Amino acid sequence: MGLQLRSVEKTYDMNSVGVRALRGVSFDIDQNEYVAIMGPSGSGKSTLMNIIGCLDVPTSGTYVLDGSNVSDLGEDDLAEIRNEKIGFVFQTFNLLARSDVFHNVELPLIYAGMRPARRRKLAEEAIARVGLADRMSHRPNELSGGQRQRVAIARALVNQPSILLADEPTGNLDSATGAEIMEVFDALHGEGNTILLVTHEDDIASHAHREIRLFDGLIASDSCQSEAA
Amino acid sequence: MSKIHGSVEALRIALAALRANKARGVLTTLGIIIGIVAVVTTMTAANGLANNFRESVSVLGTDVLYVSRMPWIFQGNFFQFRNRPNLELKDSDKLARQLGSEAVVNPTDDTRRPVKYLSEVIENATVIGTTEKHMLVSSAVPEYGRFLTGYDVKFKRHVCVLGTTMREQLFGDVDPINKKIKVGRSAFRVIGVMEKQGSAGFFGGPDFDSQIFIPVSTFVKEFGGRHRSFAFAIKAPPGADVVDFEYEVVGEMRKVRKLKPNQDDNFAINKMDSLLEAFNNVMGVVLMIGMAVTGISLFVGGVGVMNIMFVSVTERTHEIGIRKAIGAKRRAILQQFLLESSMICLVGGAIGVALSFGVAAGIDRFLLPASVSLPIVIVALTVSVAVGVISGFIPAWRASRLNPIDALHYE
Repeated sequence: MGLQLRSVEKTYDMNSVGVRALRGVSFDIDQNEYVAIMGPSGSGKSTLMNIIGCLDVPTSGTYVLDGSNVSDLGEDDLAEIRNEKIGFVFQTFNLLARSDVFHNVELPLIYAGMRPARRRKLAEEAIARVGLADRMSHRPNELSGGQRQRVAIARALVNQPSILLADEPTGNLDSATGAEIMEVFDALHGEGNTILLVTHEDDIASHAHREIRLFDGLIASDSCQSEAA
Repeated sequence: MSKIHGSVEALRIALAALRANKARGVLTTLGIIIGIVAVVTTMTAANGLANNFRESVSVLGTDVLYVSRMPWIFQGNFFQFRNRPNLELKDSDKLARQLGSEAVVNPTDDTRRPVKYLSEVIENATVIGTTEKHMLVSSAVPEYGRFLTGYDVKFKRHVCVLGTTMREQLFGDVDPINKKIKVGRSAFRVIGVMEKQGSAGFFGGPDFDSQIFIPVSTFVKEFGGRHRSFAFAIKAPPGADVVDFEYEVVGEMRKVRKLKPNQDDNFAINKMDSLLEAFNNVMGVVLMIGMAVTGISLFVGGVGVMNIMFVSVTERTHEIGIRKAIGAKRRAILQQFLLESSMICLVGGAIGVALSFGVAAGIDRFLLPASVSLPIVIVALTVSVAVGVISGFIPAWRASRLNPIDALHYE
């Protein structure tokens, strides 16, 4: 299954001037791949990440996720896809500040309409998976940065998504904590998860097994294709 | 199932948001609180008035007609009634003969006189001249002692029956039976005290409990009968149709009055229904004014809630972004904020209802019997939730339409 992008373009309309953030991007990512998307700012990284994460749709081209075309779905359908197939990990963690760890992790399952008992079981498993079983009822502001990012990873994992999408996951962490978080990703990859890292740091990208470099809205290099060639 | 879980969850979120902003929430609800106090107080007072009134007019039977010179409720020009001849005591006998022995005709009139027992004086007491038939046309019964009899009337005896308020004022704890009191200039012996009947005094109507009853014959002898116009309370024979009976009474009264076919009636037929109708008209106006005041305060309160919901949505734009990113649909966000605004208003409504109990207790103590009833509480809480939903809708709608990417990057 995995995902396939074909000639994906994205043009933003800014004061009636078209800004072409993506100018025709095509690649496939297979199941259990570990991919880093790199590129300087303005290269279209964030736009690509938004489209892959189903937060946005391409202006033209197609995006097939798990065998279904999601390029022109409506907002509620996209929300459902995000809920079922995408696990987000953000640079700034993006946890709900007023809710405890358990509730933060449980949230995607609530929006999936799952029964409370099953929700509890899955959320507790995900929290245990990232090693925070003893922090279940803490609030984010009672946790360290690394712990917060683990909560975010647990939340991303909880509904067993097709793809884990991590946007600069270590950007707000010191190098030691960052390394710990990368270990978690490595382990998750080892368990069969598909992971997509968006980063501009080479040593973070080096954890991945494939590197896609973007420049000016186009793919500058793809280590997978260069190997094949 | 998922909808139910979603609602429970949304309720939890709403309550958490309220807890986080208690002071703001309470201040916001001030308008709602005032509005709900207005709703509950208006409805409670109206209920109290209506009950009070119905209770007091129930003394007058629904199957009893009251013939009098003037109608109870004037419609039209006073001058067309002014020259009507009086209804005399002997007219009552004639009418009774014509209607047959099964109908009851009771002539009464009243006057205002000072009533005195020892040093206790009531100026302007309502003195009613009536007959033993009073018991047949009214639901009033003596609490103790007895009512007037045919003998009292026939022999113009100086006996009287007191309303319960009258007894309290004149006698206090003393047993009034067989005591002599002064009505006007003559002495009367107390033979009975009526049961408490309630009062329509609040509407300027009669206070049945502060009346004093004497035989109509004695009444005429003491206070003069010449320039008086009596009222006849008439009860239909058992089983008679009330409407048909009313036509019969009109016909017989026209004979008593010797009216020609082309002449208008120069008497009036009154019924309890007409009193009730007049009362309902007044209540309608009172309720409309109350509802207008209520509507304005609820509107102001609703605007306040809408305002605070806009603030809440703006403050939590980032949170909305997070929720959308992990899969919240538009409806989930809409529901979350609608619930929050409804809860704010429900809390306001509950506080309002609680305060209303106090207000109602005050009304009950100083104005008229009134208590907040369960249906009123339900209406008030429903109204407050409705205000919450209405005033929260635009902010919630706006929240649900936020672009997830923009919301996520909002700081």
